[in-house]
Amino acid sequence: MSESELSATEVELARKYDLTPKLTAFLDRHLIYPLIMALDLIYDENTVTQLSYDLLKDTYMVKFEKSKFSNLYPGKEFPKELLEKEEFVQKELVRLDEKTKETLNVLAQQSVQEHLKQDKEYNRQFLEKEHGITEEKVLELYEFGQLQYNRGDYMMASDLLNNFRVLSTNSDLNISATWGRLASEIISLEWDTALEELVKLRELIDSRSFSDPLTQLHHRTWVIHWSLFPYFNIENGLEQLSDLFFSSTYLSTIQASCPWILRYLVAAVVSTSPKHHSSFEFQKRLRDLIRVVSQEQYEYQDPLTEFIRALYVDFDFEAAIAKLTEVEVVIKADFFLSNGAGQFLESARHLIFGVYCRVHEKMDLQQLSASLNLSKDEGEKWIANLIRDTKMDAKINESEGTVIMNHPANSVYQQVIKKTKGLSFRSNQILMAALQKESS
Amino acid sequence: MTSRFFAAGYSDSDSASEEELVSSSEEEEQLGSSSDEDQSESDSEFGSDSDDSDDSSDDDGGRIRGPSYFLKKSHDDDDSSDDEDTKKVVKSAKDKMFDELSSCIDIVSLAQLDGDWIKVSSEFDRLVRLVNRAQQQNMGVPKIYIKAVAQLDKAITDVQEAEKESKKNMNASVAKSFNIVRQRIKKVAKEHSAQIQLFRADEDAFDRETSETPSGTATPSIDGFKVVGKDGKATGTPEVADVFKTLETILASRGKKNVDLASQIAELEGLLLETTVPFQLISIYLMLIPLRFDLYGRSAYMPVAEWKLAEKNITALLAVLEANADKYAVTETGVATEDLSIEPKANDKGVKVMIGSVASLVERLDDELTKSWQSIDPHATEYVERLKDESLIYTLIVKCQLYYESITPASEFATVAGEQLARVVLRRLDHIYFKPSKLIIYSEEVAWTTLGGKAESVVFGKYSASSEDSKYASGLIDALCSVLYKQPNSVFRKRAVLSHIYYYAFNDEYFKARDMLLMSHLQSAIHTSDTQLQVLFNRALVQLGLCAFRSGLIAEAQQALQEIATSPRQKELLGQGAQRFQQQQTQVDKQRLLPFHMHINLELLECCFYTASLLIEVPAIASSPEYSRKRQQSTRSFRRTLEYHERQIFEGPPENTRDYIMDASVALQKGDWLKASDLLNSIKIWGLLKNQDSVKAMLREKLQVEGLRTYLFTCKSYYEKLSIASLAAKFELPERKVNAVISKMIYSEEINAALDQKAGCIVFIQGVEITKLQELALTLADKAVQMAERNERLAAGGHQNNQIGHQGNNNSGNSNNTHAHNSNSNIKLAPVTGALQSAPGTISGALNGMDRKYRKNHSRK
Repeated sequence: MSESELSATEVELARKYDLTPKLTAFLDRHLIYPLIMALDLIYDENTVTQLSYDLLKDTYMVKFEKSKFSNLYPGKEFPKELLEKEEFVQKELVRLDEKTKETLNVLAQQSVQEHLKQDKEYNRQFLEKEHGITEEKVLELYEFGQLQYNRGDYMMASDLLNNFRVLSTNSDLNISATWGRLASEIISLEWDTALEELVKLRELIDSRSFSDPLTQLHHRTWVIHWSLFPYFNIENGLEQLSDLFFSSTYLSTIQASCPWILRYLVAAVVSTSPKHHSSFEFQKRLRDLIRVVSQEQYEYQDPLTEFIRALYVDFDFEAAIAKLTEVEVVIKADFFLSNGAGQFLESARHLIFGVYCRVHEKMDLQQLSASLNLSKDEGEKWIANLIRDTKMDAKINESEGTVIMNHPANSVYQQVIKKTKGLSFRSNQILMAALQKESS
Repeated sequence: MTSRFFAAGYSDSDSASEEELVSSSEEEEQLGSSSDEDQSESDSEFGSDSDDSDDSSDDDGGRIRGPSYFLKKSHDDDDSSDDEDTKKVVKSAKDKMFDELSSCIDIVSLAQLDGDWIKVSSEFDRLVRLVNRAQQQNMGVPKIYIKAVAQLDKAITDVQEAEKESKKNMNASVAKSFNIVRQRIKKVAKEHSAQIQLFRADEDAFDRETSETPSGTATPSIDGFKVVGKDGKATGTPEVADVFKTLETILASRGKKNVDLASQIAELEGLLLETTVPFQLISIYLMLIPLRFDLYGRSAYMPVAEWKLAEKNITALLAVLEANADKYAVTETGVATEDLSIEPKANDKGVKVMIGSVASLVERLDDELTKSWQSIDPHATEYVERLKDESLIYTLIVKCQLYYESITPASEFATVAGEQLARVVLRRLDHIYFKPSKLIIYSEEVAWTTLGGKAESVVFGKYSASSEDSKYASGLIDALCSVLYKQPNSVFRKRAVLSHIYYYAFNDEYFKARDMLLMSHLQSAIHTSDTQLQVLFNRALVQLGLCAFRSGLIAEAQQALQEIATSPRQKELLGQGAQRFQQQQTQVDKQRLLPFHMHINLELLECCFYTASLLIEVPAIASSPEYSRKRQQSTRSFRRTLEYHERQIFEGPPENTRDYIMDASVALQKGDWLKASDLLNSIKIWGLLKNQDSVKAMLREKLQVEGLRTYLFTCKSYYEKLSIASLAAKFELPERKVNAVISKMIYSEEINAALDQKAGCIVFIQGVEITKLQELALTLADKAVQMAERNERLAAGGHQNNQIGHQGNNNSGNSNNTHAHNSNSNIKLAPVTGALQSAPGTISGALNGMDRKYRKNHSRK
């Protein structure tokens, strides 16, 4: 986390666009904790401690609570409930530990593991017959896992829930167990396993014929929120995030129930923009993004979406550039985005410059550099680099202080050729597919 | 029973007394219908009040009112009451009839005192005619009439005796008239002999008898419907069995021909007054009110007076039900008993549930009001008068809703038991959804004041002066709709959602309304719904379009309004009138139409649509007149109108809305946005918009931008460079805005040009104009790409079908459907134009079928 101080107005701005209250509704208590800790940039320390205390009050993380409590109210006695809870948790822990020990031991045996197969029903019968592991025992695993998670032992919880999932046939509990595992993995920063869990969850949610579309919507919304953790922390995560969020079901979920996610979508698309913007994939994403942002404008706006709108809907370059400064603050204060602040800003500048070049024939170097937040010399260098990197058809005229773009007239013949280029190939492919299907 | 009634034998005192009761009770009914003040006044005249104090005073009056008194100064007494009567201005038809009767009787008695038998004869003729008329109008035989006849009869015998004694002959003509009167009186007296006898026997009792009846019937109710002994004959105590006998005969004769409904109604009205037993009252009301409707079933609409009577009856029924809420309830789910007179068994809460439907009665009453709106000329004052009755029906609906809320627990709102409540709620919604919040508040205020302080609704709290108007109105609509959304019957849900959409659109909440429309998925199934729902759908859609227009969303407005505005059958589609040349209108067709005050102004609709088209089309035409002609089918009508306008040889000043808009588009084509703006602003119909100033400002702004675009399109081939500053000056826009507009045009490749930042100008790249052939080639290429894409989509669809659950294709059909609403936000909103066609089977319909089949296959797998 960058420890740079923010000015008062910037704090104001950051608070205004702080998404934490909205995000928390769709996250687990334990997952919210890091979010709240990140708030110290815009709120004072006491508030943050208080918030985190309130947050974890209902969990079983007694030790943690104790330390927070003494931070908040130095010199005060611990409240009675807290002590009672400590005792209770301890008792439960012992009880469940004893109960599940046997089951776990059985499962750990080499011979048993060899006997287990894909078929859950068979496994159940096998275990019940050979080792006396009944449905009840399996359920205890789940309970214990939940307790462990609640008291903050995430590794243990993850293992327990995994074991449970292997044995249980109860689909509702299975889904809960998967959620629990995902949370544990996220908190223990095991991104690869977290991603695996995420894929499993998506499979469950999307394939399972949910009787209630509303529940499905809720689950999707959770997936969207929880997936922010792994995707913003792994390499190529943003690409995957864009893929997931742009898939039609998830895009409509975002539009229907959590438009604020658009901020992360904007960030992902902009940050992953390639140097030359002609890539088909990127153009498509950008088009979709522009459409969604302008559609949802009445429901959600923040500096990031405003930036996209100013640049691609209103073509107001000055506004777009002005927005960038706000964007910088928002990104700094945002838990997920703070890592990639520099990358985003750089890419955003590229985008602005790209549109600029498309529209202009002759650009004033002075103005251009100013609009890119650079001095004239720096700007010149930046543009020169850009021209070199992207092989743009442009020249700098130093003496006049201009950049001259060369816009080749788009020939009609070329347009037709471009349009019809892939057609026969595509049609052939369809034909092949159809023939194959017929023969199979 | 009927036969016995009509045969009312002179000898059978029992049935005769019953007849009197009927007639007397009718008077009571008349009194009830007039104002309270009236009642107290005429009470003294009839002496039929139930108050004890009045009784005693009547006794006094009875003493002086002996025959001797009558001979001397009866006219004085009558005069005084007459005077009072004349002071009143507003009188119901019955009151008028009554006044006429009493004045007539006065004249008769005066003339008779003077011995002017000629006058007596003529006036008596009039009197008989009046009474006949009164009987035709179900008012029965007024008591004063009987009194007058009896007194006249007496006078005649007196005169005859006097004549015998004095041996003095009257002159010839007087004697002739006297004889005529004598004969008439004899005849009339014979007709009403029983009542006259009764009158003669005991005048006081005659006056009082109705007041005693309630006490007479109070006993049997306690005894549990035992037939009471015949001891109450003289005072006319009704027999409980008679009540139900009457009801049963009426029930048996329902729907048969040649039944005198009017007399049945009169009979029931009579019965009403005789009983205070709730069970009887409820039964009678449940019989009486439908009869009232039956009476006018064939006519265009119920007469106002009758309508009001029915309204009174329903209110009274509700009052009885409310007063006895812990004993009786009336719902459609009640169990029918074998015999009318048997009370249904009490349920576990001790409430006896009777079968019947207050909701249907209220609905019927509402329908009758609508019918009268439909047949009255909307420009007549009568229509306005009738509109005032809406607050009556609205109050009744609210009251009825409260009643159903009280008998249905909140947990059952969503079940079949709640359906009656839903029906009433739907009616309430129907009355307010199209109104501005001020009017809604007005009707709410009236309703809640009438209902009094105690009433409280579960669905939505009552109106109080402190609540914020617009918030209250939308809160009310939301609450009503949410009741309907929970209904298992989809018709309620559909109607509710469409009304909701209409309301939101009407109140400028475009996005809410649009999202709701898209989420409702009504678009796909509306073609198969019933006509009224389709009309409502079209109305909601048009309102949505108008809303979009007001909020400056021109393209959306044009799209939404398009099909309705250009349809030659727009009146029909909106349920606002039939096509002009339709052969024969059936009754059903007529009933489908909406009353005038609910109409959407068609001129405004057209004006908005053409203005929106202007803003879209004029730049498009300028950009490439040939190429885009066929590109968009949608705006053909605008272009056709524009071409027609341009073809005209003589161009006069604009007269109608369309002329103004066409002139404006011509001006805009020439780049004269100022003139265009002036022309548009001078259209008068904008006055109907509630925020016309902001709309005009919005239009001006749009015209500036579209004017600039048109100008650039037209100039691109003649200019090499254009200075941004001069463009900004010409279109009165800031340079930044001009820059933005031009940038957008360049970026989207609408014009071949580039900006020169240094010189501050736009540079057109010349020599890229394309020929017709090249243009066609481009179009062909576009079409080919479209086709390829469609093929791919089809192929992908089949592909997906084969491997459900594959992780990549996780958007399986079902889930896709539930959330597709937002992703297809730019879906085309098409109104139901096939709505009223007899034969559906449009392409979209066929596709729907395919879709369904596909989904079925899908789910089977």
